[in-house]
Amino acid sequence: MNNNLIIGMAGAGGDGVVSAGDSLITALAIDKYHAVLTKSFGPQIRGGESSFKLRVSTETVLSIGEHLDMAIALNWDDFLKFGAELPISEQTIVVYDSNTGILPENIPVSGKPAKVFSIPIEEMAIKTAKTNRAKNVVVLGLISGWYGIAESGIITGIRNKFTKKGPEVLKGNEDAFYEGVRYAKENPISGKNILLDQPHPEAKNKLLTDGNDICAAAALFAGCEFFGGYPITPSSEVMQLINREIWKYGGSVIQMEDEIAGAASTVGASFAGKKSFTATSGPGMSLKSEVLGLATMAELPMVIVNVQRGGPSTGIPTKSEQSDLFQACFSAHGDVVRPVIAPTDISDIFSMTVEAFNIAEYYQTPVIILSDAELGQRKEIIDEIDTSKFKIIDRKKPSAEELENYTRFKFTADNISPISHPGMFKGNYLAAGIEHTETGAPTSGGEMHAKMIAKRTNKLNPLKSRQDLFIVEGDKDAELALISWGSSSGVTTEAFQIARKSGLKVKLLIPKLIFPVAESVYNDFFKSVKKGLVVEQNFLGQLYHVARMFVKVPDGVQSFAKAGSSPFGANEIVNKLKAL
Amino acid sequence: MSTETVETTKEFTAKDYKSDLKPIWCPGCGDFGVLTALYRALAEIGKPPHELAFISGIGCSSRIPGYSTAYGFNAIHGRALPIGLGVKTASPDLTVIVASGDGDGFSIGGGHVPHTIRKNPDITFLVMDNFIYGLTKGQVSPTSPKGLKTVSSSYGSQEEPVNPLLYCLSYGAKFVAQGTPADMKGLAKILEEAIRFPGFSFVNVQSPCVTYGEEKDMIKGQKEVMQSIEELDHDPTDKAKAIQLSLEYGTKIHTGIFYRDPNPGPSYTDLLGELKKDLQPKAVSKDKILDMFKPKLG
Repeated sequence: MNNNLIIGMAGAGGDGVVSAGDSLITALAIDKYHAVLTKSFGPQIRGGESSFKLRVSTETVLSIGEHLDMAIALNWDDFLKFGAELPISEQTIVVYDSNTGILPENIPVSGKPAKVFSIPIEEMAIKTAKTNRAKNVVVLGLISGWYGIAESGIITGIRNKFTKKGPEVLKGNEDAFYEGVRYAKENPISGKNILLDQPHPEAKNKLLTDGNDICAAAALFAGCEFFGGYPITPSSEVMQLINREIWKYGGSVIQMEDEIAGAASTVGASFAGKKSFTATSGPGMSLKSEVLGLATMAELPMVIVNVQRGGPSTGIPTKSEQSDLFQACFSAHGDVVRPVIAPTDISDIFSMTVEAFNIAEYYQTPVIILSDAELGQRKEIIDEIDTSKFKIIDRKKPSAEELENYTRFKFTADNISPISHPGMFKGNYLAAGIEHTETGAPTSGGEMHAKMIAKRTNKLNPLKSRQDLFIVEGDKDAELALISWGSSSGVTTEAFQIARKSGLKVKLLIPKLIFPVAESVYNDFFKSVKKGLVVEQNFLGQLYHVARMFVKVPDGVQSFAKAGSSPFGANEIVNKLKAL
Repeated sequence: MSTETVETTKEFTAKDYKSDLKPIWCPGCGDFGVLTALYRALAEIGKPPHELAFISGIGCSSRIPGYSTAYGFNAIHGRALPIGLGVKTASPDLTVIVASGDGDGFSIGGGHVPHTIRKNPDITFLVMDNFIYGLTKGQVSPTSPKGLKTVSSSYGSQEEPVNPLLYCLSYGAKFVAQGTPADMKGLAKILEEAIRFPGFSFVNVQSPCVTYGEEKDMIKGQKEVMQSIEELDHDPTDKAKAIQLSLEYGTKIHTGIFYRDPNPGPSYTDLLGELKKDLQPKAVSKDKILDMFKPKLG
């Protein structure tokens, strides 16, 4: 049985490495496998080395995994540039182009891989397709032949791509693919090839997307009618998809002159009554803070997704980090509580983006979605989503009776005041960043200020009882705990499963509602806990510390925080847990 | 458009646009005159108050939306233009007026001006220019004359002032005018024309600060030197001449319409409207929106 395969490939620009990864994952999606694909590039704007790492399984793939089962180097210089991202171990089968002139026993990797194939990949490409540009097609044939996957999908893909280039080019590429398949069948990995399991016959139809694209689609689904933004890596794809689609639904998108203007136009559109959205990453988030404060003060709904990257300042724009949690919770001045939502995987980005709009509209507040480069840009095969199960919430409008003597910021039992918008007859009011009375008249009175802060804060309290915004699993009375959030949730969940299989009694907590901190959920969870880890990809242990501000976290629960772009491994987490 | 139909035959008077809030301005502040002229212009246009969105930033002048019965948004410092653009784009049938001051509009928010102009939304940008930061009690502003001594320029400002008229003309604003509360009738007319103009319109109002301003800039002083450019037979379709006249900002007080594009063309939201009309037939129903992620080979 072989239910899990991790492949990594690297080469020079023009080798078509990334396109090979895309072809492979698309074919796997058609065959209803689960898979995750990450791509990595050198710092060059165009060209330069590139790589992919793909993990495929018949079960949901929780993380990109650790060591490669198969490493493919079109040349060693470029492969080695991806060092830690494409780790080789004694289980790895190494494949490289023999035109590198390096003998199998001399390949520049530490340790001893399980097996090394030196294959004339370029030669096979030229022989069949008459061009070295088909090297990636030969490699696809090798993978398909060795593991028995994706053959029909890849061939269909080749046909769709090359038919328009004429029968000769098409035939050449088909031949290149089958040349790879033939080689793999004649040279099995170990006696015979270990074929990957077939997907479950009743497996659901699949979607193939990344976090940024599905975030944008979710916003449109939730009823977003306005997006004001500014390009920034790694979030720009959110704006780009919305730019392609939103007009069809009567909405608008503006690429504004800067990050502040992006947020400002968004709050303006919300004032005008539309569901409004913006996307950014760390530096843009810093610039947008003041507008978020305004949206809190004027009680205007808006959603902002921060696709986090390495920080502070410019940091590492292309690499993932979960280091903006403090900022999301605390960046605006004044006494402010702003909901912060952290989705855990690609499918969850859809759910949580819809949820973010619902919360924003219902509670008349800005809502921050904390995504990151890892979630935003990794491609994932997910089960089709049943959109009919999602409820869409709109902001509460004043009734005809309420409009007779409209009081925009009226104190109510649930602290939510019906909201009008320009164009609504008799709903006229003054929205303001300045403190105001119930009617919206500016005030500097301390007593009114305190009452209004209480209103704006307390209206969000019901969120803290939303059990559905938390994943709690495992043994109820376990003394060991794993806690994580956002993009680290997947690998932590995998670690949790491994730990349980190995006989550990352990429980898992993944908050998707980061802020306000739901004290009761944490307190219930921690009742049985003596030791545990809070796993997150940042240096300071930001969730760990925010939780400790509001909750008595057991002393034995430690922060397991790691800065930078090298992701956690599930076994790494299990080992750390066992060592507690 | 979500605007509800109301009786449109109703005639409006200036009073219909006046709110119950009492302005915080100092007695004699030029902004009172701007407000009165604005009420008159709005009554002349006759758009119902609930279809007006009046957006501002921070400063003495930015308090103005609260004093009108329109929907108002007294937002944050320097961001009134992008907020106004968001309002107008989201709801193109609204009449949107963005009010600002010389500091709010040309210092902290100055970067937004060219980019709003080049989009040409149908917004009126009304700047109450008093050459000083009044609300923060008398610091040097981007339109303060060089050499002006203030609490933040103790030995005289070292910088050349911004020329708001030239600034907007040079970035391609299709309607540029200047008025003063010293000529209330003229100012009301200018504002009316600006609001009616089907594109971005800029009105600079020399609105004196009675507390921190210089004597020569007060209403009395202005009355002695102000000059209607209409009386000089200025042709408002002549952009070169408009630029020439604008160069006298700071030395003379010209009032009137410097430039009005005779062929303004479609506004930003007109263009977006056309785009939406073209693309709307291509929409898939929202419950099928994820179909775009079905795996496609090749």
